[in-house]
Amino acid sequence: MELTINDLKNVRFFDNYTDKQLNIFIGISSIKEFKVKDILFEQYDELNEIYVLLTGCLSLGISLAKEKRIHLGTLEEGQLFSWSAVFSPYISTAWVKATCPTKVMAIDSKKLILEFEKNCEFGFKTMSKIAQTISYRLSDTRFQLMNQLTL
Amino acid sequence: MKDDRNIYSPIKARLTDVIEESPSIKTFVMVPENKFSFKTGQFIELSVDGIGEAPFTPSSSPLITEKLEVTVMKTGYVTEYMHMLKPGVYMGIRGPYGRGYPVESFFGKEVLILGGGCGLAPIRSLLYALESIKDKLVKVILCYGSKSPSDCIYKPLFDRLNRTEKFEAYRTVDKADEDWDGSVGVATTLLNKIKINIENSVAVVCGPPVMMKFGTIRLLEMGYKDDQIYLSMEKNMSCGLGKCGHCMMGEFFVCRDGPVFTYNEIKHNPEIWK
Ligand SMILES: Cc1cc2nc3c(=O)[nH]c(=O)nc-3n(C[C@H](O)[C@H](O)[C@H](O)COP(=O)(O)OP(=O)(O)OC[C@H]3O[C@@H](n4cnc5c(N)ncnc54)[C@H](O)[C@@H]3O)c2cc1C
Ligand code: FES
Repeated sequence: MELTINDLKNVRFFDNYTDKQLNIFIGISSIKEFKVKDILFEQYDELNEIYVLLTGCLSLGISLAKEKRIHLGTLEEGQLFSWSAVFSPYISTAWVKATCPTKVMAIDSKKLILEFEKNCEFGFKTMSKIAQTISYRLSDTRFQLMNQLTL
Repeated sequence: MKDDRNIYSPIKARLTDVIEESPSIKTFVMVPENKFSFKTGQFIELSVDGIGEAPFTPSSSPLITEKLEVTVMKTGYVTEYMHMLKPGVYMGIRGPYGRGYPVESFFGKEVLILGGGCGLAPIRSLLYALESIKDKLVKVILCYGSKSPSDCIYKPLFDRLNRTEKFEAYRTVDKADEDWDGSVGVATTLLNKIKINIENSVAVVCGPPVMMKFGTIRLLEMGYKDDQIYLSMEKNMSCGLGKCGHCMMGEFFVCRDGPVFTYNEIKHNPEIWK
């Protein structure tokens, strides 16, 4: 299935991009589908793609040991994840698993970084959005931690 | 004519129903002996004979004056006793007190409500008030978090709101069980889901102190201005009338000047999140 500009206009992460910029994403992306229980990636996997959840449900967590998985939460449609794919050492800090049939947009992260170098405004905008995603995740994690500590 | 009633003497209200909302939260339905009106977000002092009194924000519609509902979490002496009460007994009500939500200033806007735990009680009353003026609002979004699925109160409210024009309601739990197939994570994670025009919006936060703090931080990160965020503050209270000083937060008497404040009004107060 091909992605179109109109598809992306309804996806939260792509708010405020121009059509030209949306086309850059489309040129370096593919759609991937996952079944219930499919693992998109494991913690410590090397990542080559940054994902945006289009439809479906994904769980995110961390592993303490091979068999000890801690579920941290779910991802919401329109949310970006696997941001480690654009930061060295490109190793995932969490695992992500599908909990219902799911469709994601997989953006080739190496190609995305090349696009950033060619087009600084696009790069700045996208990195700002990624930084915001990380900052939100950090404040949610602090909240979650304080919640546990004050129980 | 001068009203000679002692300002501390309550009016009687008969408990007509007790609804179990979660293992630690019950809703008490009362019929006051006189019609009783309040503005959404204002609070009352509710007393049990021989036990004591405590402040609560009504969870029922401010448009209904014949009966009053209060949703109470079991936390200590008075609330534990209340949880043992059966319909038929009489309770005492003083109030309403304080400053509630300025709903008229929400006209023409999108209203985002972030709630947690028992904070959904005052929010339910606000939702009833907003439903009655929905023609004047752009939309209302409720994001609510509870510890677990069984701790989520007013479950039917969510379906009803999602069937109501201009309303959207989302729930999440900190920890899921096997039957839960919804969102998992703290209440603020639901803000990743919603679409809102922040410039033309106000946000209301009500819940446990940790949620109030992180909810406000997240709203500020999203671009809300200090005076677009309304917080419902719960401080220890006694008189409820601005006389005893129990509830003081800096220059404010929370019972009289609040309990609803904009973040702008109280952001410099060191006790804000305590
Ligand atoms: C304006 C306002 C509105 C409120 N609305 C609701 C409501 O709708 N539903 C609800 O369940 N609770 C509400 N509360 C909190 C409720 O008043 C307290 O839980 C109650 O007073 C506890 O009384 P207690 O005798 O059972 O507990 P206590 O034995 O006195 O104390 C038990 C614990 O509760 C804390 N506590 C006591 N009083 C308060 C207080 N006033 N505020 C915060 N924590 C307190 C104590 O510090 C202690 O940790 C509200 C509080 C305020 C100030
Ligand atoms: S509770 Fe007495 S002054 Fe506020």
